[in-house]
Amino acid sequence: MYTSIYRGVRRADEIVYFRRLLLVNPSAVHRPPLAITTQKSKHLFMAVSTQAPPPTPPSSSSKAETVSPWSSWAGPLALLGPSGLFLLLLLVIPTLVIFQLSLVPNIKPGDLVNPSGIGNYLRVFEPLNLQVMGRSLFFATGTTILCLLLGFPVAYWIALNVSPKWRNLTLLGFVLPLWTSSLLRSYAWITILRPTGVLNSLLGLLGIPPLELLNQSSAVLIGMAYSYLPYIVTILYASLEKLDRRLLEASQDLGANPVETFWKVTVPQTMPGIAAGSLLVFISCLGDFVDPELLGGASSMTAARLIYNQFLGATQNWGLGSALSMVLIFAVSIGIALLLKYGDRNAV
Amino acid sequence: MPPTNLPISRFCRANSTRRHFLKNSAATISGLALSSCGWRLADVQSAPPVKGNADQLFIYTWAGYTDKALLDRFAEKTGIRVVADVFSSNEEMLARVQAGGGRAYSIIYPSDYMVIQMAQLGLLSQLDHSILGGLDRLKKQFQNPVYDPGNRYSVALAWGTTGLIYNSEQLKESPEDWSYLWKHKQELKKRMTLASDVREVMGAALRMLGYSLNSTNPEQVKKAYEKLVELKPSIASFTTDAWRPQMLTGDLKIAMCYSSDANEVIPDNDKLRYVVPSSGSSLWTDTLVIPKGAPNPEAAYKWINFMLQPDVAASLVERLSFSTPSEDAFSLLSPEVRENPILFPSEAVLKNCEGVAPVGKFMEVYDRYWTKLTSG
Repeated sequence: MYTSIYRGVRRADEIVYFRRLLLVNPSAVHRPPLAITTQKSKHLFMAVSTQAPPPTPPSSSSKAETVSPWSSWAGPLALLGPSGLFLLLLLVIPTLVIFQLSLVPNIKPGDLVNPSGIGNYLRVFEPLNLQVMGRSLFFATGTTILCLLLGFPVAYWIALNVSPKWRNLTLLGFVLPLWTSSLLRSYAWITILRPTGVLNSLLGLLGIPPLELLNQSSAVLIGMAYSYLPYIVTILYASLEKLDRRLLEASQDLGANPVETFWKVTVPQTMPGIAAGSLLVFISCLGDFVDPELLGGASSMTAARLIYNQFLGATQNWGLGSALSMVLIFAVSIGIALLLKYGDRNAV
Repeated sequence: MPPTNLPISRFCRANSTRRHFLKNSAATISGLALSSCGWRLADVQSAPPVKGNADQLFIYTWAGYTDKALLDRFAEKTGIRVVADVFSSNEEMLARVQAGGGRAYSIIYPSDYMVIQMAQLGLLSQLDHSILGGLDRLKKQFQNPVYDPGNRYSVALAWGTTGLIYNSEQLKESPEDWSYLWKHKQELKKRMTLASDVREVMGAALRMLGYSLNSTNPEQVKKAYEKLVELKPSIASFTTDAWRPQMLTGDLKIAMCYSSDANEVIPDNDKLRYVVPSSGSSLWTDTLVIPKGAPNPEAAYKWINFMLQPDVAASLVERLSFSTPSEDAFSLLSPEVRENPILFPSEAVLKNCEGVAPVGKFMEVYDRYWTKLTSG
């Protein structure tokens, strides 16, 4: 029952792959080794092959000799040069400078920079700083889970249940909060969640006792989930839109109820989108400065704020701040590596 | 999975050599960076001074000390256009100036203890008293202040106290001292805020225990920290400004604030009151300084003279609600402003107040306790 669905899916992948290869490099396409058995895929392949010249054996070796190495570099260099230079000057070199600073224990402004030891890193792994980083991780994972739980139904509804002519408008309407300042949106949450705020007034009208949400972790999670929801909805929508409805129909025909269909067909198919969206939200939350500061109250120090305090606080401990920054960059790099591995490979 | 017998191996080989190249170059760059002859972090002194435009003045100030009317009046009088940038804490200002971002400013508004620190770091230029007029018309304590003997580097602009603003309608008993917060911490649970300044908060705890605000005794500071840990569950947040809307709507019952802020907020809600705790608090002074390498020192002196003018100072007090150190300006004020106990407290109250002074190396101890307090 399941293998028939997955075999059909593999075929669909191959067809997409062939079409792309034909557009990029027509001469490199062989005659396909697998026999196309389904009616629809045969039609697709015939339609595709009439656009391109008949497949010939590869002549890649002869092709390489006629192209000089310089002109094969010129194209990528011209396109990637400006942004590559930008990234080199504004991302790579500053990161190296921070790394160098983090190796100088107890550096203060005005001191000679002489990388001499890992004292700063040892301070980073003290229990107090580890607690702060743990809190950052907690906020990030909590926000990711909340965003997934709230965002997936919305993306599913927009992608599958809204008629095509309204789809873009609905998505735009949902993403509209991104057009306003994120700081303003966090301030709005203060107005809603404070003890005599909008939420508690509403609850009071309904006779429910007021909720003490502001200045605690709950307010931070609510505020951050709200801030990053448009991003995850957009990514999940893109992934759900590519979902093949025929698979859902096929699974229904084969006897699965809607819940089984969801867990066994929809979720595995959209796993790259889910991974991409979750990791994007996770990485952004790790560095979020504003929401924990405004909504979290007295016990909300996160790694970002701790780094800020090292550079702009009273002790001016740039070494420790740099070491904390490197640890944060490392954590974010792990997130990005996971994103590259499990994210939407077909889109890359 | 796409079929693998397609000639994509050419791309793979090109990718691997490119990857090798990038790896090697990254290693080289990092090696060069790390082994380069030492550079000084944030070395501002060695940079040559910037010569600025003669009819432009850039000032670096606090949020509540300038408004458009003041800048227009100065432009009208001298023809110099003033651009004001704002900072929210002394340390932020110092970090920016040290990192070289303060090269454009000819006037900076540090607080008293920051003047000492900046002078020690060699960031300030000495003031020429012959150009300045009106220094002798300041109140006695500001003519030869503790933080800057002889006004060598700075001129006092505003002063005030730190205290508690509270909602008299919501509190059964009126607070008189810092100990009120501890005594009523259940009633005030999550309805009080403290300032987000390490010296102010630790200083408040130290004064309550009977020690000096500038204590460098590890035992005393430890006791103050333990007292604050006791209070921590009742504190809603550490903030210097965010208490304002919440105080006005009644979400907060009591907040630690500066007297100038309290004076600004109280007219909006007549249930609010301000008190300077009886065991003592901090007396802060905000000053004007001219940094070394200022682009436009002549305009800077004109600005200082302008601010020392009694009528300008008096109108600023009325509009922007801060206490002025100038005797002449004080006499020009209307009686109700002069009698205002928030802006101009009595001698008895002022006797108990202490100015924040830098504590040098001991600041690390304060900072560690502060990080423990705010991160826990």
